[in-house]
Amino acid sequence: MLIILQLILFIVIAPFLSGMISKIKNNIRMRKGQSILQPYYNLVKLFSKSEVVSETASWIFKVTPFVVFSSMLVSVVLISVFVLKGTIYQMGDFLSLIFIFSLGRFFLTLSALDTGSSFGGMGASREMFVSSLAEPAFCMAVFALSIQFGSTHIAAFSGMHAIPVSSTVAALTLFLVTVAETSRIPVDNQETHLELTMVHEAMVLEYSGRSLALIEMASYLKQMILFFLIAQIIFPVAFTAALNFPQILLWIFWYCLRIVIIAVTVALVEVFVAKMRLFRVADFLGLAFVLGVIASVCAISGV
Amino acid sequence: MSDLFLKQFFLFDPLSLFFLFVISVISLPSAIYSFGYLKGEYSSLKIKLAWFLLFIFVSSMVFVVSVNNVLVFLVFWEIMSLVSYFLVVFDTNHEKSIQAGMIYIIMTHIGTAFLIAAFMILYKHANSFDFGVIRSACRVMPVQTKNIVFLLLLAGFGTKAGIVPLHIWLPYAHPQAPSHISSIMSGVMIKTAIYGIIRFVIFILGINSSWWGVLILVLAVISCLVGVIYALMEHDIKRLLAYHSVENIGIILLGVGLAMVFTSLNLPYLAVFSLIAGLYHLVNHAIFKGLLFLCAGSVYKATGTRDIEKLGGLIKVMPYTAVCFLLGAMAISALPPLNGFVSEWLILQAFFLGALNSAGGLKLFLGICAAMLALTGGLAAACFVKAFGITFLALPRSNYANKAKEASLSMKAGMVFLSFLIIVFGLGAVKIIKILAQVSGSAIGFDISGMSFSFNNLTLSPAVGKDIYLSTPLLALLLIVFGVTGFIIYRLFGRGKATTYKTWDCGYYNIGARNEYTATAFSKPFRIAFSFFLLPYHKTQKIRESFYHVKSFVYETHTTSVFKRYIYQPLLALIFKTAKSMRRIQLGSIHLYLAYIFIIILLLILFIHQF
Amino acid sequence: MQGIILFTVLASTYLMVIAKRMPALICGFRYQSFCLFVFTLSVALNHRQPDLFIIAGLLFVLKVSLIPYLLYRIIKRIKVGENLGLFINPQLSLLWALVFTYLSWIFSTRLLISDKTALGSMLAIAFFIVLAGLFLMISRMSALAQIVGLLVMENGLFLLASMVSGGMPFFVEIAIFFDVFVSVVIMGLFVYKINKLFTHIDVHKLSRLKG
Repeated sequence: MLIILQLILFIVIAPFLSGMISKIKNNIRMRKGQSILQPYYNLVKLFSKSEVVSETASWIFKVTPFVVFSSMLVSVVLISVFVLKGTIYQMGDFLSLIFIFSLGRFFLTLSALDTGSSFGGMGASREMFVSSLAEPAFCMAVFALSIQFGSTHIAAFSGMHAIPVSSTVAALTLFLVTVAETSRIPVDNQETHLELTMVHEAMVLEYSGRSLALIEMASYLKQMILFFLIAQIIFPVAFTAALNFPQILLWIFWYCLRIVIIAVTVALVEVFVAKMRLFRVADFLGLAFVLGVIASVCAISGV
Repeated sequence: MSDLFLKQFFLFDPLSLFFLFVISVISLPSAIYSFGYLKGEYSSLKIKLAWFLLFIFVSSMVFVVSVNNVLVFLVFWEIMSLVSYFLVVFDTNHEKSIQAGMIYIIMTHIGTAFLIAAFMILYKHANSFDFGVIRSACRVMPVQTKNIVFLLLLAGFGTKAGIVPLHIWLPYAHPQAPSHISSIMSGVMIKTAIYGIIRFVIFILGINSSWWGVLILVLAVISCLVGVIYALMEHDIKRLLAYHSVENIGIILLGVGLAMVFTSLNLPYLAVFSLIAGLYHLVNHAIFKGLLFLCAGSVYKATGTRDIEKLGGLIKVMPYTAVCFLLGAMAISALPPLNGFVSEWLILQAFFLGALNSAGGLKLFLGICAAMLALTGGLAAACFVKAFGITFLALPRSNYANKAKEASLSMKAGMVFLSFLIIVFGLGAVKIIKILAQVSGSAIGFDISGMSFSFNNLTLSPAVGKDIYLSTPLLALLLIVFGVTGFIIYRLFGRGKATTYKTWDCGYYNIGARNEYTATAFSKPFRIAFSFFLLPYHKTQKIRESFYHVKSFVYETHTTSVFKRYIYQPLLALIFKTAKSMRRIQLGSIHLYLAYIFIIILLLILFIHQF
Repeated sequence: MQGIILFTVLASTYLMVIAKRMPALICGFRYQSFCLFVFTLSVALNHRQPDLFIIAGLLFVLKVSLIPYLLYRIIKRIKVGENLGLFINPQLSLLWALVFTYLSWIFSTRLLISDKTALGSMLAIAFFIVLAGLFLMISRMSALAQIVGLLVMENGLFLLASMVSGGMPFFVEIAIFFDVFVSVVIMGLFVYKINKLFTHIDVHKLSRLKG
């Protein structure tokens, strides 16, 4: 079925995005850096290593990688509206996405507290702090989109049309939220494991081997999903069944290019902006919330 | 004859039946739970007293939601309050119980005073105590009177429900009561106040003005945020759960307030939809909050303390309690596919759909309220990560947690039943919504025969919006399928060895319970982010041996209780000042008292021709 | 005839109000009771009812002889008993008594719609005696003054009742006399005890006991 194809496609492409972002960053910093395929090499390496499980941990620690991985796959199913249109699986609801991310995050933070290390607790506390403040901004962006397009279904803002101003501002809000959720600078640094920058990395500090591979895969998938959503809002693409071959190629090229554009933007933001203090993140996400309100006002006035 | 008697006093319309269902579905597991809970703690005479009081408590609540007569309603409302007071002060050894009971009884009587005032005005207009007669009389009541009655009813029921700023008794009373009573109080008794609001304001008074709904929405949003922010700062399990009750009452009132707004704007589908969402959250909250209180009670009974900073590692010794608490925590954080997720999703959709169908300023207001609801959902999840993680996971932090044992069979039975209900109410959302549609339709008075809320038996789909679907069985199925897939990938690819060793913690091998994260530390980012509201202050104390050598250092950090300091304490100070100034009439001198009599007699003499 | 008697009653009440020491107060009370006795006797002679004679006799025995005697005995036993403790000085008390007379005059004229002025003045005097008794209780600090004030009020009520309705029922009168007598005895005991405990009988100082 097409849906399995879409899933495999996402799983295969997601680490590539991460590798591409780090390659761009390194190139701007005038370093050679790691190769683009490095995330794949990392995953293969992790699968071939054996695991060490902490003795203070309970069954929650062991179950978390599966829960997080499956919640990300369910999110992919949720947003694959093109493939599923017309079937009974067409849920595609933007709102449920917030809650499904929340499911994965809940278990990840619990497992971080489970190991009994202080880094885990700190990562868990900061992660819940950042994500709970990101939720109203996310909700306002969804609200603006739903007012503009009349529904919270993702297919509602697909389709070729002129992009309204409210969509652009909502996409900007979602961009800020994405930076927070995927632990990018200015909220968190994925490259180091120092205390000052530990939000996501601290939670998975105790994981190793295959479980770590699953969790890393899940975070790549989350990043891909969020980039896909932003790209869908700014550069909407419609799925029409009757396309001949060259048009399909063009369509696939455009489909991938826009995600690449978003990834390049994220990489540039990461290089040129400094990381914020943790307690300034509240202001940052407050700014995102205000942008969401502006997007809603634009949507209400029909701009 | 008996039929006439029943018809005169009881009203069994769908709303009452729904609340009767809620009452029974929570009271039964709590009663079973109390078998095991009360066994070792009190003498057998006191246990009989507890059962007797429980019986009266539950039956008074049953009567409150099913009577047809305002006077009888008031009588049973009072009985319910009084019996719950006795249950709150049940543990007479602790002086905190007595103090909690005092605050509770005073606040609940103030609420009842407001209710009596409202009922007196209603009686004056309708000349009868019967609901039906009052309802028809309210159609012709002048708008000013209706406003006053609405405000009085809101104040009266709001005190019992725990709307901010009248919530102050909740964090005192709920922790001190025995756990099964806390679960019934938080799960059911608070909901009878919501029943009162729905019955008296929506059903009897009838809604014409939209500012009522907007006022309730504003109060509900404030309750949500205040409740969850204070809950984040608490380290006593039951106080944390009590503050979460305040927050969830706010969420229920969001649904009810939306229903009132849409009724006044004449949008029948949306009104019924929002009330469905509110009532769904009501029954969900009853279930998962009841479950959480029962689990907290079993933790308290096993370890002897309610302070989560002293617990830890309980998941290994109390597996059943841990799983039930985890399910309750997942439900209250609105994680799919459980019931909390469905009701919060419904309320958010009600906001969004309502914003699509209403005008300008109201749209933005609804959007901001929806964002605040999302914020409280996130904060609630954070709080329960803290509560579950620090209580049950990692190493035990003190001797209290070391000597814990699993709960007894009856306690386990009560908890497992409620966890099972959580899953059922999450997966069977569509069926429940069909039933709730009838309840809401009868409460608001709209005809629901033309409204459809679902696509098929598994998928929810509000008919007003385009293409909005939610199917919890499908989500659950997908989660399980993909989880299994992940497990298969895990087993297939890669080496099969997993060794158990000490926690790595960046190479620091001497980890003990002292290294773990504490609850205070977990909530510190929130304390800083919300410090404009929490107003934290700290006290330090240095003990020095000499000027240069500090022997020990004590550091305490507190958050100010804003409502207590800025609303209730000035009010109490004003009352005491007035009482003191009125003491000057009573000087203790006989001559003065006789002089009072004398003056009155003289005045009577002088003005006798007036009478 | 009755007018003169009532005037004497009025005068004796004024005497009580301006009394500075206890014996003077009791003296005024005796005069008042004596005049009341004479008044009742005259009414009895007019109506020729044996009840009234008995009542007049009782009045004489109790209120003119026995009760003042008891009060004198109390004063002798208590060394500070003679001191009345005036809140309001005698001249001002007399002024207030005049005001109360005028007020009771207004009251009686408003009560009586018909034209019986004789009855009106008698009613006024009776009511004034009640007010004077109450005034005595208020404006004197001593506990004995409270007792005398009660007795004066009872006198006034007796006068009022006998004027308006020809006296109260016989047994009620007997009972009241007995009541009054017993209460004086008991109050005397109490005053003695109070003096033993506090070495004064100043009721005003009781206000120090409040919390």
